[in-house]
Amino acid sequence: MKKLSKKAILFLVVVTIINYLPIILTVVYSFNSSKISSVWGGTSIVWYKQLFNDNDLRRSLINSLIVALFSCSFAVIIGTSAALAMRKTKLFFDNMISYFSTLPIMIPEIILGMAFLAVFSFFKMPFGFITLIIAHTSFCIPYIFMLVRSRLIGMDPSYEEAAKDLGASSYETFRDIIVPYILPGILSGVLLSFAMSFDDVVISIFTTGPTVNTLAIKIYTKMKTGVTPEINALATVILLISVICIFLFEIINKKSTNKTQTRY
Amino acid sequence: MKILKKFGLLVLLSTLMLSGCSSSNTTTDSNNDSSMPLKGTTLNLYTWDGMFPQEVLDGFTKETGITINYSNFDFDETMLAKLEETQGKDYDLVIADDYIIELAIEQGLVQKLDRTKISTIDNINPIYENEFYDPNNEYTLPYGAGIPLIVYNPDEIDFEINGYSDLWNPKLKDNLAIIGNYRVINGIALKSLGYLFNTNDLTEIKEAGDKLKELAPNIRIINDSNLQDFLITGEVSVAFMYTSQVNQALLTNPDFKVVYPEEGLGFGIMAAFIPSQAPNADAAYAFLDYINRPEVAAKGFEWLGYFVTNKAAEEYISEEMKPLIILPEDKYDLIEKGEIIQNVEDDALELHTQIFAEFQKETK
Amino acid sequence: MKNKKLGQWLLRLPVYLYTILFVIFPIVYMFILSFLTKAHTWGFTFNLTLDNYRKVFSSFYMGIFFDSLKLAFITTSLVLLIGYPFGYFMGRLNDTWKKRLLILIMIPFWTSGLIRLNGWVIIFRSNGVLDKILMFFNIIDKPLKLLYSYPAVVIGMIYFLLPFMILAVYSSVEKMDWSLVEAARDLGASKFEAFKSITLKQTMPGILSGIVLTFVPSMGLFYVAEILGGNKIVLISTVISEQLTKGRNTPFAAALSVILMLLTSLILSLYKKFSKTNELEGLF
Repeated sequence: MKKLSKKAILFLVVVTIINYLPIILTVVYSFNSSKISSVWGGTSIVWYKQLFNDNDLRRSLINSLIVALFSCSFAVIIGTSAALAMRKTKLFFDNMISYFSTLPIMIPEIILGMAFLAVFSFFKMPFGFITLIIAHTSFCIPYIFMLVRSRLIGMDPSYEEAAKDLGASSYETFRDIIVPYILPGILSGVLLSFAMSFDDVVISIFTTGPTVNTLAIKIYTKMKTGVTPEINALATVILLISVICIFLFEIINKKSTNKTQTRY
Repeated sequence: MKILKKFGLLVLLSTLMLSGCSSSNTTTDSNNDSSMPLKGTTLNLYTWDGMFPQEVLDGFTKETGITINYSNFDFDETMLAKLEETQGKDYDLVIADDYIIELAIEQGLVQKLDRTKISTIDNINPIYENEFYDPNNEYTLPYGAGIPLIVYNPDEIDFEINGYSDLWNPKLKDNLAIIGNYRVINGIALKSLGYLFNTNDLTEIKEAGDKLKELAPNIRIINDSNLQDFLITGEVSVAFMYTSQVNQALLTNPDFKVVYPEEGLGFGIMAAFIPSQAPNADAAYAFLDYINRPEVAAKGFEWLGYFVTNKAAEEYISEEMKPLIILPEDKYDLIEKGEIIQNVEDDALELHTQIFAEFQKETK
Repeated sequence: MKNKKLGQWLLRLPVYLYTILFVIFPIVYMFILSFLTKAHTWGFTFNLTLDNYRKVFSSFYMGIFFDSLKLAFITTSLVLLIGYPFGYFMGRLNDTWKKRLLILIMIPFWTSGLIRLNGWVIIFRSNGVLDKILMFFNIIDKPLKLLYSYPAVVIGMIYFLLPFMILAVYSSVEKMDWSLVEAARDLGASKFEAFKSITLKQTMPGILSGIVLTFVPSMGLFYVAEILGGNKIVLISTVISEQLTKGRNTPFAAALSVILMLLTSLILSLYKKFSKTNELEGLF
C-alpha cells in the first residue's frame, strides 16, 4: 500500500482539530470563574468543587452508565444474531423485520419516546430502569445490526469454505473465522450505540420513572434552567474518564492480540 | 466477544470507582427514630431542575430522615403526560405552572390538601391564593410568582421603551431576545393590539399572528433559559424575559432598565400539589411544612429569584434581593389588574401554536 | 438438517420478538393515533378523522417539510464531502494510526452532545473566540454575528453527524480489496478511473449507510436548531416536538411523523434505485 500524501495527512489533522475545538473550549471554560458560561472571567476550580459535592449528578451518571451498558449488551446479542441468521437463508418475514428493526434510527426520537410512553402504559409496566433499557435497546440494535450485516455482506464465503474443508466444525468456523471477521463491526456498533444511549435525552425523558434520572436528562434540564459552568466541569471529567477507559482498553487489547498471535 | 467483555468490565469498573466516592459522603444520622416518624422513607419530588438550593434539600433530609428523590421535567406538559400515564401514582409532590395545574385538577390527578397537616400554612401570602386554577384554595400551595418584563441596556438604545409596542421599533433590528413561551409572546402581540391574553376570538389571534410576523426582523434569539446572559454579554440590547432572569440581569448590572409594559402584564404563579395517589403523601406534607418556614422559604426564594409567595419569609430576605423579589404592597394591584395566562379553548390553542410557528419560521 | 433449521429460528427469535413488540407495535399505535382526535387535555379520543392529515398538507407545514429537507440535504452533502475523504484516508493509514484516529473520533462522541454544542456557542458568539481571531488578523472589524444564523446550524449539524459518515466509509474501506485497484492501474487506468470504477464501487455500501446515518437524523436534530439557531430555524421535528409538548396535540404530531417516516423511506428507496446497488438489497 502506498503512503498517504502530505495533503491527505494535513486534511486528517485539520478536520480532527476542528472536531476538537468545542471540546477544548469546554475544558478551558470549565476553569472559568464567571457564572456566564461563554464569557471568560478568570481561572478557578470552583465548578469542580461544586461538581464533586453534587450527589444528584453523580447518581445520574451512574444511572446512565447502567442503562447504556445493558442496552448495548442486549443490542449486541439481538443485532448480531439477527445479522448472522439473515446472512444466508432468507425467511419470508426477514425483509420486513430487518426494515422495522432499523426504523428506530429513522424516525425522530420524540415519536419513539411518545410511542414508548403509550406502549409501556398499555403493558402496565412501571417506569424506571426496565423501560429505559427497553427503549434504548431499540435504538441500539440498528447500529449493531447494520454494521455487522454490512461486514457480513462483504465477507468472502471462501474463507468459511476453506475452514470447513480443513475440517473445522461449524462452531470452530464461527469462533475462528466469523467472529474475528465481524468483530470490528460489532465494536464500532457498540461504540456508536453506547454513545447514543449515553447521550439520549428525548426518548429518556418519556420513558424514565421518578426514581431514575439519567445524566443526559440532568444536563438537558440544567441547560434549560441555566448552563452552569459546573456542566463544563462535568464534561471534562467524563472526557477524562473515557480517555482513561479507552487507553486501558487499548493496553489490554494489545496484550491479548499479542497472545493470540503467539498461539498460531 | 472477549474484547467486549473486557470493555464492559472497564465501564463497570469506572462506575464502581464513582459510586465509591459517592458512598464516602453519605451522612450518618444518629438522631433517635421517635422524633423522625418518616425516617427512611423517600419523597418523590417532581419539578424543574434547580428549584431548590442544595442546602434546603439537605436540611430537610437531615431534620426528617426522609430521602429526597428529585426528578425533573422540561415542560409542564411532559409532567402532565407522565402524571396521566401513571395515574398520579409515582410522585409525592409536584411543583408546576398554574395553567397546567388547572388541567391536572380537572383530570382528577390531584388530591385535596389537608391544610391542618401544614403548620406553616399561614405564612403564605394570600394575594397569591384562590387563583383560577384552584379558586377555593383546596389543592395547591403557591411557590413563587413572576411577570415577564422588558429589560434593556440604556447605553445601547437611544429611545425610551415603555411597552410591548416599542419592541416593534425598526431600530431594534436583530437586537431583541425573547422567551420561548408561545402564549406569552403571542400575548404581547395581542396586548399591543389592545386584546386580552386569554381571548378565544380566533380573528383576534390571527391578527396578533400577523402583527407578530412584523416583529420577526428584530428577533436575534428565542430562548427560554439564560436570556439575561445575552443581555449581559452584549449579544442583544433588549430582552423580554422571566422574573428570575430579570433579577439576575439586574444583579449583574444595576444600570439596566426594567420596563413594566404599559399595555398590561401577564402574571404566572407556580404552585405545589400532591398527586391523587401519591405513595408517600406524609413526606410531601412534611416538605411543604418545612419549605414554608420563614427562614427556609427566604433561602429558597433568594435562590429561585421569583417573587416571594411567603409573607413571613419577606423579612428574612437580604437587603440586596428585597427590591427584586418582594412585590411591594402598593404594587399588589398589578396582580389584580394583570392577567394570568389561562387555558383557552381548543381551536384557540391550536391557532396559537400555529401563529407562533409561523412567526418562528419568519425569524430566520 | 432439522437442527439447523431450529438454529436459524432461534437466532431470529430475539430480533423478531423485539421488533414486533417494541417497534412495530408502537408504530402501528402511532399510525392509528394519527387518525384520532385530540382530547381536551393530554391524549386523544376515539373519533376517527382525516383532519390531522388535512392540516399536514397545508402549505405552511409543507413549507416546513421542504425547509427540513433542504437543511438535511445541505448537511448530508457537506458531511459526505468531508467524511468520505476522511474515512478513505483513514483506512489507508497504518494500523497504529488507524486505531489512534478511530479513538480520536470516538472520544468527543462520548461527552454530552449538548455540552459540545455549547462549545460552538463559545466560538460563534459575538466577540467570541472566532470573532477575536478574525479581528486579530484584521479580517473583520466588527462581530460576525454568526451565532443564531443558518450557517451556524449547518456547522452544528455537520459537526454532529460527521463521525457517522467517517465510521461508515472507514469500515467499507477497511474491507476493500486493494489488489483490484492495483490491477486496474496496471491495466492502464488513470488514478481517477481506478477510483471511479473500483474504489467508489467497493465503498458504496459505506457511503450509503453513511448517508442513511446522516440524512435521517439531520431532520430530527431539533435541538441543534434550538441552540445554535436560537430557536429561529423551524424544522419538522421542532414542530412535532412542540405539538407533543406545548401544543398537547398527539394525534397531529403522529400524523406529521407518519408523513416524515414515509418521506424518509421514499428518499431511501429512490436513492437505492439510482445508485443501482443491488447487493445492498438487505439494507432497508
